Amino acid sequence: MEKKLSKKTLNKSFLSWFYGNLTCFSQEHMQTFGYLCAMLPVVNELYDTKEEKKAAMSTYTAFFNTEPQIGALVVGMTAGLEEARANGQSIDDEAINGIRAGLMGPLAGIGDSMIVGTLIPILLGIGLGLSSGGSPLGAIFYIVVWNVLMWFGMRYAYFKGYDLGGKAVEVLVGEQAQAVRDSIIMIGTIVIGAVAASWINITTSLVLPGGGVLQKTLDGIYPKMLSAAAVVFCWWLMTKRNISPTMVMLLLVVVAFVGVLLGVFDPGLSY
Amino acid sequence: MEINAVQAAILGLFACLSSMPGLGGTTFGNYTLGRPLVAGLVVGIILGDIRSGIIIGAAIQVIYIALVTPGGTVSADVRAVSYIGIPLAICAVKGMGLDPDTAQAQAMAAALGAAVGTLGTVLFYGTATMNLIWQGIGWKAVEKGDFGKLYLVDMGLPWISHIICSFLPTFLITMAGAGMVDIMKNYLPMDGIAMKTLFTVGSLLPAVGVAILLKQVVKKPLDFVTFLFGFTLAACMNLNLIASAIVGSFFAIINYKVIMLQSRKAAAAPASTADDDDEEDI
Repeated sequence: MEKKLSKKTLNKSFLSWFYGNLTCFSQEHMQTFGYLCAMLPVVNELYDTKEEKKAAMSTYTAFFNTEPQIGALVVGMTAGLEEARANGQSIDDEAINGIRAGLMGPLAGIGDSMIVGTLIPILLGIGLGLSSGGSPLGAIFYIVVWNVLMWFGMRYAYFKGYDLGGKAVEVLVGEQAQAVRDSIIMIGTIVIGAVAASWINITTSLVLPGGGVLQKTLDGIYPKMLSAAAVVFCWWLMTKRNISPTMVMLLLVVVAFVGVLLGVFDPGLSY
Repeated sequence: MEINAVQAAILGLFACLSSMPGLGGTTFGNYTLGRPLVAGLVVGIILGDIRSGIIIGAAIQVIYIALVTPGGTVSADVRAVSYIGIPLAICAVKGMGLDPDTAQAQAMAAALGAAVGTLGTVLFYGTATMNLIWQGIGWKAVEKGDFGKLYLVDMGLPWISHIICSFLPTFLITMAGAGMVDIMKNYLPMDGIAMKTLFTVGSLLPAVGVAILLKQVVKKPLDFVTFLFGFTLAACMNLNLIASAIVGSFFAIINYKVIMLQSRKAAAAPASTADDDDEEDI
């Protein structure tokens, strides 16, 4: 008789991954244990003897790490492959782990840039906009929209992976997907520009020799010019000079200290 | 402002849930509870001052707007930023008599949050290293075929790592931190060099957060035009963030159509009938 994974088992496997993908993270094994937990319900349903279960589970002891949210796709795919294997198709450990290892790098790249690097900043940017004056609306907006999107998005990825197997990858790397990604990144870049203009507030207190205030002159050329320049400068340090974010922050401490001594910066406060 | 033991304990619990790798899970833990904007609301509720919590959380959020952890390397720890940094910043701002909704208070919060976040990376490495012990138990279970234990290893035992690396540090530091503000006030005058530098650093730091994000999307100088377009919308045309997102979406749709048109044209080029279609489109 053809073995078929029940909806209940797939749901349990998905939930294990949704919650447990990084709960037992270590630098050495990263998401491997989350993966094992997600495969356990699948293996338990497909195989009867302990020996068969052990053999199947040992496939998934191989190292795994990707962007875990988009990575739900891979977990779904392997659930489908495991089902095919239990039905006698010739799929060996190497084939499964080849797919896992081959996908985790590219998916991490897509997930980090699209989800963490674009979707989250857009949602947070809108949330920040809704928070003015201390309103809780922005935080609530982010909590609801983000979690609903991820819950359904990850479910979709998991079950798409299970249904389509290897073909699921085309959904993510095809020409149309590339165009969609490119366009979403564009929204993200524009929103982050607006976030920078709204939330970075760098001003100078320097008085020009003639008695004019430098800040006024700068505002006349391009409003918030110093804030934009600071972003470009930090970007230049990180990409062109390969300086780590932490070092850039320390460098800014030096810039601030020297600037205060020279009278370029003055927050103008006293108790 | 005082933080009592019960409040500190609840902050500690949220630190366990919100970490990367945390016990609230990736989506709801790290990426929801761990974001300073959300943590601002949570800490505000715990400390009984939602307005201050939100304003300070939002100010710190800008620095960490794109906290990507490629391959498990972190430059800042979210549990430290959110559940140690934000409570301390609230205490500091209020202790110094600043209104949270001022540029100065937000600069102060940003500087404090970033310092705590950077030092907090030690908590990340502590948790990850301690999890190796539980994983050792897990490997033995796998060898024996005792698979039921996997859930305990993945979702139960890491609580021990978190009690040591998340709960206790948060509990102790937030309890002790409230008193720190008085010491600062006594020894560091607001118009002295040290405090002026602190406030200035705080105003510069959000630029790093935005730059980290741009590092991924801006590959060549021309890409800055897209960023500056958004910047101009807000700085010169005074659009708020939702309005900017809508304008951005409009251009993104045009961009999508242009790319699809190009690729369709490229695919259809050899066939003469397709050429006719293109002419009609134009």
